[in-house]
Amino acid sequence: MSERIALEVREDGIAILRMQDRDKKNLFSDDFIHELVTAVERAEEARPKVLVLAGLEDVFAAGAEKKNLMDLCDGTVHVKDLVISEKLVHAPFPVIAAMEGHAVGGGLVMAACCDMVIGARESRYGVVFMGLGFTPGMGCTKLLQGLVGNQIANEMMFTAKRFRGSELAGMNVSFNYIVPRAEVMPKAMSIAMQIAEKNIDSIYLLKYALSAEKKKLLIEARVQEDFMHRLSFGFPETRRTIEEFYAGG
Amino acid sequence: MTRDEVVEVIKRNILDNLEDLDENNIDPDKSMKDYGANSLDIIEVVSCSMRELNIKIPRTELADVKTIGQLADKFMEQIGK
Repeated sequence: MSERIALEVREDGIAILRMQDRDKKNLFSDDFIHELVTAVERAEEARPKVLVLAGLEDVFAAGAEKKNLMDLCDGTVHVKDLVISEKLVHAPFPVIAAMEGHAVGGGLVMAACCDMVIGARESRYGVVFMGLGFTPGMGCTKLLQGLVGNQIANEMMFTAKRFRGSELAGMNVSFNYIVPRAEVMPKAMSIAMQIAEKNIDSIYLLKYALSAEKKKLLIEARVQEDFMHRLSFGFPETRRTIEEFYAGG
Repeated sequence: MTRDEVVEVIKRNILDNLEDLDENNIDPDKSMKDYGANSLDIIEVVSCSMRELNIKIPRTELADVKTIGQLADKFMEQIGK
C-alpha cells in the first residue's frame, strides 16, 4: 500500500483507511484519487464489518487540486473526483468519517457520503466551490443536506463559508459528534467497536437498505452537476477567481 | 478610515473566529497563528474583514503578510485607492 493512503484491516472486523498525503495535504490529485479508490476496493475484498475513514490531523480532505480546476476551465478534462463519492456511497459496509482536520469542498462531500460523521471543534468544514466561481460537484447538491440539513446546506453552498466545528456544534447539523480534535478518533473507534460486535451479514443487509436513498440522490446529482459544470467552468470570470482565490496547496 | 480602525475590524473578526480570546490581549505585532489560528481560520478572518471594509485583495498578494499590523497596512493601501 502506498504511503499516501494507509489501510489496516483488524482482526475484530474494523478497517481503518487513513488519507495521509502530507506533501499535498490530501488534495484530490489524479494519483491520490486513484489510490484512494484502490484502497476502498481492497477494503471491500477484506469484508470488514465497518470502515473508519480518517485523514491527517490538520486536514481530513482538501478537495480538488488547482491544476485540475484549471484543466476543467480549459475544457480538456471532465470531473474525475465523482468516483470517490460513488465508491463511498456504494461501499457494502458502514463507513464512519473521523474528521480530525478540515474538510473542504469535495473533502466535506466525502463525509456526506458516509454513514456516520465525527468532526473536530477546532477544524473547519465548508464547500468552497462557489467561492471559486463554479457550482458544487461530487454529489454535493443532493448529499450535503443529509449532513447539515437543507437550509444550512444552502448557506454553505451559496456563501462558500468554512464553518468552524465549534460553530457547527451550536447549529442544528446532523454530525454524530463534534468534539475536541484529540477525541475524534477515540469516538470513531468506540462506534466502530459497537458495530463490530454485530453479525456481519445483518450489517451488510442493513447497509444495503440504508444506502439506497443516497445511491439514487447521487445519480440525480451527477446529471445536474455535470450540466452546471459545463456552464460554470466556461464562465470567463471562473478562471480568474480560481487564480486569485484558490486556497489549497 | 484610520489604520487603528482597520486594526479594530481585524481584531473583532479574530474574536469572532477564534475561541477563548480577550480583545485586550491581541497584539497587532503578532501573527494570528500566535493566537492559535490555523490556515483556514486566517482565511476566514481575512475574508470577513475585507468584506466589512468593502475591499478585495487576491490571496497571492497577501502571501508575505506576517502580522496583524502588516495585514492592516495592506488593507490601508487598498482603502486609499
